[in-house]
Amino acid sequence: MSLGHHNAWLPPGHLRPPDDLLDARSTNGYSKTFSGPRTPQMRGSVDADGLHAGNLISEADTTAEEDPRVAIFRDLYNRTEAKISSLFSGGKLSEGTSSHAGVGSGPDEADTKDQRADESAPTPNPVKKPARKLDDDDYDDYDEDDDADAASPPPPKSSAPVQPPTAIPSPSRPSSASISAAADAAKEAKKESLEDIRKKLEEDKKATEEAAKRSFHTLFYTLENDRDAMLDQQRLEESERQVEAEMSGQASTGNAPTSGSSGYGSLSNANLGASSLTLKNLIARIDLKRTMVQASDAELRSLMSEVRKNRSKWASEDKIGQEELYESAEKVLNELKAMTEHSSAFLTRVNKRDAPDYYTVIKHPMDLGTMTKKLKALQYKSKQEFVDDLNLIWSNCFKYNTNTEHFLRKHAMYMKKETEKLVPLIPEIVIRDRAEVEAEERRLQLAELDGGDESDDEPIMSSRGRKAPGKSSKKGTAPSRNTPSGSEPPGGSVSQPSAPVRSNSDAPMEGIQNGFATPPPGTQTPSDPAGAGSVAPGGQDEGMDIDGLGTLTAALSALATPGIELADPEYKVWKQVTKKDRALIAAERHRLFKGDKINSDEPALLRTKAGMRRWLQSQKQVSAEGDSSNESGSRAMEPNAAGETLAEGIEVEEDRVIPDYYDVMSGIPDLPAHLIWREDTEGNLVDASEEFLRILPKGSFIQPDSKLSRKMDANMRQMQETRKICSKIGIVKQMQLQSQMYQNQFQKYQPEPFAEQDTLPHVMNDNGPIISPWVCKAALQRSVAKVFYHTGFEEYQPSALDAATDMASDFFQKIGETLKSYMEAPKVPVTDTVEPTALSQWKRAYTEPEMVLHTLSSVGIDIEGLESYIKDDIERLGTKLTTAHDRLRSLLSELLRPALQDGGEDGSMAFADGSEQFVGGDFAEDIDEDFFGFKELGLDREFGLANLSVPLHLLQNRMYNAAQSQNTSTSQLITLFPPPPSYPRISSETVASQIGLVQSFFKAKLQMNNNEPLTEDLELPPKQRPMAARPRLPASGKIPPPSSLPGPTSSPQKRPLPASAPGSNANKSGNTEPSKKKVKKNSGVAMGIADTLGEDEHPPGPDGAKTSNPASNKVKSEETAATAELSNGKGRVNSVISDAPASDAAQNGNNGTAVPLTNGTSIDAS
Amino acid sequence: MSSDRTPKYRQEIQQMMFVSGETAEPSVETTTLIEDIVRQQVVEILARSTALATRRGVRSISTDDLIFLIRHDKAKVSRLKTFLSWKDVRKNVKDSDDKGGADAADFAGADDPMAGGVVAGPQDVASKPKNKRARVGLAWDVNSFYSIQVPEREDEEDEEEEEQNYATLQRLAAADERTKNMTREEYVFWSECRQASFTYRKSKRFREWAGFGIVTESKPNDDIVDILGFLTFEIVQTLTEEALKVKEREDREKNRRGGAENGAETKKRKRETGLFDPPEEGRTPVEPRHIREAYRKLQATPNKNIAMLLHNGRLPARMPLRLI
Repeated sequence: MSLGHHNAWLPPGHLRPPDDLLDARSTNGYSKTFSGPRTPQMRGSVDADGLHAGNLISEADTTAEEDPRVAIFRDLYNRTEAKISSLFSGGKLSEGTSSHAGVGSGPDEADTKDQRADESAPTPNPVKKPARKLDDDDYDDYDEDDDADAASPPPPKSSAPVQPPTAIPSPSRPSSASISAAADAAKEAKKESLEDIRKKLEEDKKATEEAAKRSFHTLFYTLENDRDAMLDQQRLEESERQVEAEMSGQASTGNAPTSGSSGYGSLSNANLGASSLTLKNLIARIDLKRTMVQASDAELRSLMSEVRKNRSKWASEDKIGQEELYESAEKVLNELKAMTEHSSAFLTRVNKRDAPDYYTVIKHPMDLGTMTKKLKALQYKSKQEFVDDLNLIWSNCFKYNTNTEHFLRKHAMYMKKETEKLVPLIPEIVIRDRAEVEAEERRLQLAELDGGDESDDEPIMSSRGRKAPGKSSKKGTAPSRNTPSGSEPPGGSVSQPSAPVRSNSDAPMEGIQNGFATPPPGTQTPSDPAGAGSVAPGGQDEGMDIDGLGTLTAALSALATPGIELADPEYKVWKQVTKKDRALIAAERHRLFKGDKINSDEPALLRTKAGMRRWLQSQKQVSAEGDSSNESGSRAMEPNAAGETLAEGIEVEEDRVIPDYYDVMSGIPDLPAHLIWREDTEGNLVDASEEFLRILPKGSFIQPDSKLSRKMDANMRQMQETRKICSKIGIVKQMQLQSQMYQNQFQKYQPEPFAEQDTLPHVMNDNGPIISPWVCKAALQRSVAKVFYHTGFEEYQPSALDAATDMASDFFQKIGETLKSYMEAPKVPVTDTVEPTALSQWKRAYTEPEMVLHTLSSVGIDIEGLESYIKDDIERLGTKLTTAHDRLRSLLSELLRPALQDGGEDGSMAFADGSEQFVGGDFAEDIDEDFFGFKELGLDREFGLANLSVPLHLLQNRMYNAAQSQNTSTSQLITLFPPPPSYPRISSETVASQIGLVQSFFKAKLQMNNNEPLTEDLELPPKQRPMAARPRLPASGKIPPPSSLPGPTSSPQKRPLPASAPGSNANKSGNTEPSKKKVKKNSGVAMGIADTLGEDEHPPGPDGAKTSNPASNKVKSEETAATAELSNGKGRVNSVISDAPASDAAQNGNNGTAVPLTNGTSIDAS
Repeated sequence: MSSDRTPKYRQEIQQMMFVSGETAEPSVETTTLIEDIVRQQVVEILARSTALATRRGVRSISTDDLIFLIRHDKAKVSRLKTFLSWKDVRKNVKDSDDKGGADAADFAGADDPMAGGVVAGPQDVASKPKNKRARVGLAWDVNSFYSIQVPEREDEEDEEEEEQNYATLQRLAAADERTKNMTREEYVFWSECRQASFTYRKSKRFREWAGFGIVTESKPNDDIVDILGFLTFEIVQTLTEEALKVKEREDREKNRRGGAENGAETKKRKRETGLFDPPEEGRTPVEPRHIREAYRKLQATPNKNIAMLLHNGRLPARMPLRLI
């Protein structure tokens, strides 16, 4: 049926056919043939209870006839439920809700069933039977995975036979329905009961598992039993391996003929099982082009078998019912074996060494291993044989161990109980040979040639003949397989041709089956004893049911009531459910160790995505359960499931029933709350950064303020100050030695005070120290540099600083390590009984001061050493520095004496006391150390003079200039008297107002100047002024001996100029000068004089008057020349007279000492 | 240590030991041992100071090199400085003596014109030492921080002198204590002993003894030799004092063991006798084993020197010789 039908379904109850009841049942099974309907089963895997409940309800609704039995089941279920919930009271709530959810989905399910029933209503009667078979198929499956697998194959199978009927409704439908209705009703009821038993068992199991799973979260189970589990598991595996090894020997011989039968045989001949139905087109196609296919037969077959997943290893085309029987038998066997707690004793043959007389007592030994072997060798022909063997084991045990207290009896008892529980799950099947069955069917067909009902069913039945052991449906398989189209009305004639072909392949197996009686025709009849229990007569069924119920209760009690050895049911369940997984995990764990040590050769443990996903899921489950509202929980689950993109589906997820704490490796730590990516309602990210971001507190990288650091800083400042003084002293000394100096020769030493710079504002992510080695290193470097400076180094090479920093950090590391080792010393018990509290039983081995002291002593430092360092190297150093500073300062002031003391920095205050020092010329004593013999006279002592050298500032005006330029404003403010208004410029207009004597001179000048106004000397830049150059004294402060040529101090008046050539012009006198320099220097004055002398006596007047102004302003710098001019200017009127004696005096004077005298006389003259 | 060489300083060492507190007469073995130790120390000092001088780029050892070696012993340094400055004074005085009265007067100071012509003995100079005592500046002093020579000034008392004074005073007090009850002859002997030196007026012997030509290339000047004389005295004294301590402890231990049977009475009696008898009596001289133990103690490596070898550092097989 296509999905289109599905979509067009009508409301429930609308088209419900009269045989609703049956149809509903059948469709319940049939529904599995659809792709959609699988959902209920899937849900079953999610919560078995829900499905269970849903099934119950639907059953209750639909099957009024089966009410009593169903009621029993229900009752049972409720009881189980109650027990479980009483056991797992923790998980009760959610269980209840989940069952509610299941109930909620129940009607829904019913609806879909109804709808499907509607759809299947028009289908012919046979549909019911396949449905039943499918149900049968279900019983065999123990877990959901198989369920799902088993559910998936049917669609194609069923669609093939079902579709044609819908397309071409067979006319026989109504009758078949009516015929089978009565007969099937009883059969089905019984089948269903059996089915229900199995289902119940299964679901109970699931429920326990679920409950156990839930309980994982409420209880923490210790790992102490893991080892036993592991050992048991190992024993089991060992026995299985043994069996396997033995079997493989047989198989290799037994299977050889089948596998290697043909080289390029047609595939359709190959034993591909019923699935070849679905693949028949493909197979036919492959057969057509067989030559072009490169693969060998074996390869193709393996490919095919991969395609048809539904086939188990037991499947055999030749043995009808083998697959079903063996599947279930194997499962039961495995179940029993898996109960390793009890089964371990029965896994292998009893060893003669262990029990020498065993084989005398026990004639027919049996064990689970042997059974497995037999199973694998396909030696069981029916359920009974299998069950007999099982029981033989337990009875052997009881027989041998006669002591009722024997522990093995307990195990055997338990195992027996388990066996009783599980045995009903094995279908009552007797394996028969296909050939026989087919032969039978043919006979039957021939016999009932006209009884169309059964034959009508057959072709369709045949499609799933595999699933119908002991039923006549098998006979249809052959035709359907061999005919290309299943829609063709099946007939015995069609099936017959296939018989020979099949018989060929069956040949090897026939021998085994031969011993079996051919089942009589009409396997469907309830009276057929050989037909499996599914078609057993009512009475038999009743017995079965009771049996089933008994076992069910037994199973339940086994699960729920206290077991053999353990009183704690929960724990028991836990042990049972998780045994295998625990064993595996323990084995894995065990593998990591060799002896008592970790085996380094083992591969590293890696966390898997699947594991992490599982962990997350279980976490969520727990949290969802904790939420107590299932809805919200499930709602939460869904987005989460969507969000779990963590490689969803990339890795296969194996299902483990084990709490997550067993999978430690997959654990995912919780994100700190402040780091979680949170979004608000608008989808914007909630910024939680304020909570954890913080700004590095200021001052983390500067020296903390302390008395010591303040002292050190003070010392360093002191050193800087002292160095400044030192540089001044150095300059002064240099000035004294050097005759020529440049403005920029001496760099001013102006050290910046030290200031530690902190790091820029820094945002940190978390608490704790800042981890940034370079910054820390730089900070340490600075500290080291500071210590260096403090020790007296003025500057240092970076590499030296680096080395010292590295050493310092090394040293501090040592200190840290030592301190750490002291801190980590094992704690010692508290010896003093003053505090008997249990809390402080242990204390640290060392107190904190002890630790520090120990550490210090281990690096060779003691408190006294530190103290003496501070006392000697810092405090005393400070006082020493202060003394040194004071001494140097006094040295400097002595050097600059007295100017800087009384005269201010630039000496401008020299006259502040109103002294007439310069005017009176009493500074002359400073010109030479003992120039005037004052010292000789003892005058220096008389006046308390330390030395008699010329004050430096008088000799050098650089300091004056520097000071002037530095504080121009102050010097301007000082001017007491405003300068006189400048003279008007002399132009042709104003020349008349001048004194008559000079008028002609000015006129001549004007003429030379093209009648432009004459520029005053003062308006010229200083260098162009026709001014007498300043005389220079050498830096020694001593006037050169008179034997040398006229020194720079000699004034023009002193020169022999007037005497040699009073009438000659200035040029001539200039030329007579021996030194060019002198010419330049004296040119101005000389010219003036020459003019004066040459033309008339007036010219010097204005000249002198003009120069007198600056002269008076800068007395200090003008010195002798200025005084000469001064005298000149003063004696403006009687210039000639005054000049003459001055020059005379100069000429007469033998040496330069005449200068001050000249000065004096000239003043006197004026 | 070469034991084949004949001891050359037995008497001096004996005297020094006497001054240091050893009243009994030490055996020849003891003095020889001490002499060997001293010699070893001297050689080490010379070698190291030569290395230092070489590092400075100078061939001859200066006093600074020697002082640098003992720079951590502040008391010793300051004593040495005092010693040197006094030596300087002495030398100057000698010079001025040679020149004549006028200069001497100049030297003595202007405010004491009457001093001219008078022999400027140490006492004389000591009356105003601040005027003329040249202070021995060290390269690592504060004064060398600056490019300009810090001028001397006399009005400030050097603190280090106080420190040195303290140590010296202790010594003097001890010496005073010992000489308190001495007779005149004894005191003369004592003061003779105090003048004992390895170098004074036996510089040639000292040079040979210390192997000057071998250890150092240059011929050390007088100052160096004097400092070495000073240091050798210090070495002998330290050794003797330490050895006496060792011996005292040993004696005490012996007494306690011996007196364990007799009880406290014997001890008391012993002490009583000690009170009235001259302290020298009954004392046994220091033996070589005491000296050896003292030497071992003095050679123990302090933690400070191996601090950087903590945690995974490997201790060298031999630590360098420690200067006493």
